[in-house]
Amino acid sequence: MMVLYDGSFEGFLTLVYEVYYAKLHVSAIVKKMPERLVFERVYEILSDETKATKVLHALQKHFTKERQRTIFNIFLCDTKTHEHSLLEYIRIGFKNPKLLGNITNPHLFYIQTLEKELLSLVHKMYGFTRFEELEDGTLYAKIETKFNILPFLGEHFSKRLGKIPFIIHDMTRSLAFVKDESSTQIHSIASFDAPIYSQNEAHIKELWQRFFKATAIQSRHNPKLQKNLVPLLYRTYMSEFQA
Amino acid sequence: MKMTVTDKLTLLADSAKYDVSCSSSGSENNYKTGELGCTHNSGICHSFTSDGRCISLLKVLLSNICIYDCAYCINRVSNDTPRTAFSPRELAELTINFYKRNYIEGLFLSSGIIKNEDHTMSLLLQTLRILRHEYRFNGYIHVKLIPGSSKELIHEATLLANRVSSNIELPSAKSLALLAPDKSKEKLLSPLKHARDISLERHNKPISMSTQMIVGASSESDFDILKLSSSLYQKALLKRVYYSAYIAVNHHKHLPVPELCKPPLLREHRLYQADWLLRFYGFSYDEILNENENLDMQFDPKTFWALRHLDFFPIDINTAPKEVMIRIPGLGIRSILKILQARRFKTLSFEDLTQLKISLKKARYFIVAGSDYYRASHLYEERLKLALIHQGGDIIQPTLFDTSIYTGEL
Ligand code: SF4
Repeated sequence: MMVLYDGSFEGFLTLVYEVYYAKLHVSAIVKKMPERLVFERVYEILSDETKATKVLHALQKHFTKERQRTIFNIFLCDTKTHEHSLLEYIRIGFKNPKLLGNITNPHLFYIQTLEKELLSLVHKMYGFTRFEELEDGTLYAKIETKFNILPFLGEHFSKRLGKIPFIIHDMTRSLAFVKDESSTQIHSIASFDAPIYSQNEAHIKELWQRFFKATAIQSRHNPKLQKNLVPLLYRTYMSEFQA
Repeated sequence: MKMTVTDKLTLLADSAKYDVSCSSSGSENNYKTGELGCTHNSGICHSFTSDGRCISLLKVLLSNICIYDCAYCINRVSNDTPRTAFSPRELAELTINFYKRNYIEGLFLSSGIIKNEDHTMSLLLQTLRILRHEYRFNGYIHVKLIPGSSKELIHEATLLANRVSSNIELPSAKSLALLAPDKSKEKLLSPLKHARDISLERHNKPISMSTQMIVGASSESDFDILKLSSSLYQKALLKRVYYSAYIAVNHHKHLPVPELCKPPLLREHRLYQADWLLRFYGFSYDEILNENENLDMQFDPKTFWALRHLDFFPIDINTAPKEVMIRIPGLGIRSILKILQARRFKTLSFEDLTQLKISLKKARYFIVAGSDYYRASHLYEERLKLALIHQGGDIIQPTLFDTSIYTGEL
């Protein structure tokens, strides 16, 4: 039958619980009631903390650290419909973890491929994220990404930026990773004021744009290759492409 | 006229851009709490130039003033071009400002020879000292060792930098004498040897080192070039050799005429492919080419090797060990790893390989998978060549670069 859940991780874990205890037979998992007419029965999952926690503990017991990570990572791929495959992944993992490497199973192959896609996006954004310096010295970056990669970026830049406070603002999801002297947290952002930049900011940006231009070799000009390497959708906040 | 930092940057980035060794990969992660910066072991590209090269480091010259007269170089003393120099402090500040904003992984610093070698090396080191000690900058630094500078200075460079390099420039002593009369192979390699020795005294792993060769300015064959690279890798002297297609900027009696000379990009691309085979795929240089030969322009070096060794094929992908599979044309390390993983669970067919998103376009001629093999063509060199050529453009188009070539990743 078709299963409806609220899209949260807790909701998904509750779903896993129901599959095991109510012996649900799942044909599809959706986050929203489909608009077209469905003749199947739709079973709605109500997120339940106790059930979710139970499943979480079971996962922690039966899955290696690395595979738990995979499950969380897949959940960060929030623009893909991965639920059905993830459910299979968990089911197989409970049954016989040795089989999880079997990528000739399409569900397991999908999970492995999707996680690679996520990690490659993360790696790209380690490079393509751009900070701007605010009046008070805080570094501020806006991003728009296909998957929710704030936890990765937050950790990466916490290592990099030492004591400097910084904010990474996910414009698509209205979330922000905020690090200052006292705390490190992901907030949801309802509204925000236009930031005030430091005096130096425009000058440094200009220097960067100059460098970017000067470092290209004309006799090797190849914008098509450049576009493969930095597709347009990444360029929104990269100032070197705005000049 | 006094130049602003903006003017200097424009000029000195412009003069540094022909040096291709920009990868910041291969250093250990070295996170220290509270310090600014940390290196990343797989190399991060922060942008790509309009010619499609990775920008990872702030690559500049400290100065384009130079007392040498290397024929191929835009900064040679006999050229009449505007000259300038950063102060070490200006450069350090620029690096920090770029780094904070995540424009770069760090600094790649080189310079023309101002007054003399030691003077120049001291200025480079002064910049590094400000970065490391004043700003407590812990990000990536690659510095050129100025050939002919004193051992103490080279010693200090190995303490402050993540990577050091010295460019061999040209693939033979003869060409050097012809085109870079102030340099010799010994002079260029000695700082690298010295840096290796002193870093080995401190750790059991030598500091990461690289070099660059200009390709197409002199007459050496690709065989000579690969032989040289492979000897440098074997002595564990270098982590990377970079090849740079010669871009004609000067007129000189021993150089191609600039107006008629296009940079040999495809040749450069093939050299990188061959270099990859040397470093990661277990090929030796004399397997790739015979004496005096050049790399084939039509086929990549692995395919070219396969065409000459058809008796090695077909390979059964369900049983062959990794080092054998790696020699199959058209299959890279990622595909091989997928195959190794999947075949533990079942005997793989062509269909299974396609399911695993492995392209068989080239590989199908060279493999057996269960009861599947490619029946339409047998392993005859001429027919196979034709079949491969008819696959169209991508075999010879240098624009479809494997990006990893520039980032140094697998
Ligand atoms: S030493 Fe030779 S290659 Fe280097 S800047 Fe001077 S002239 Fe150019």
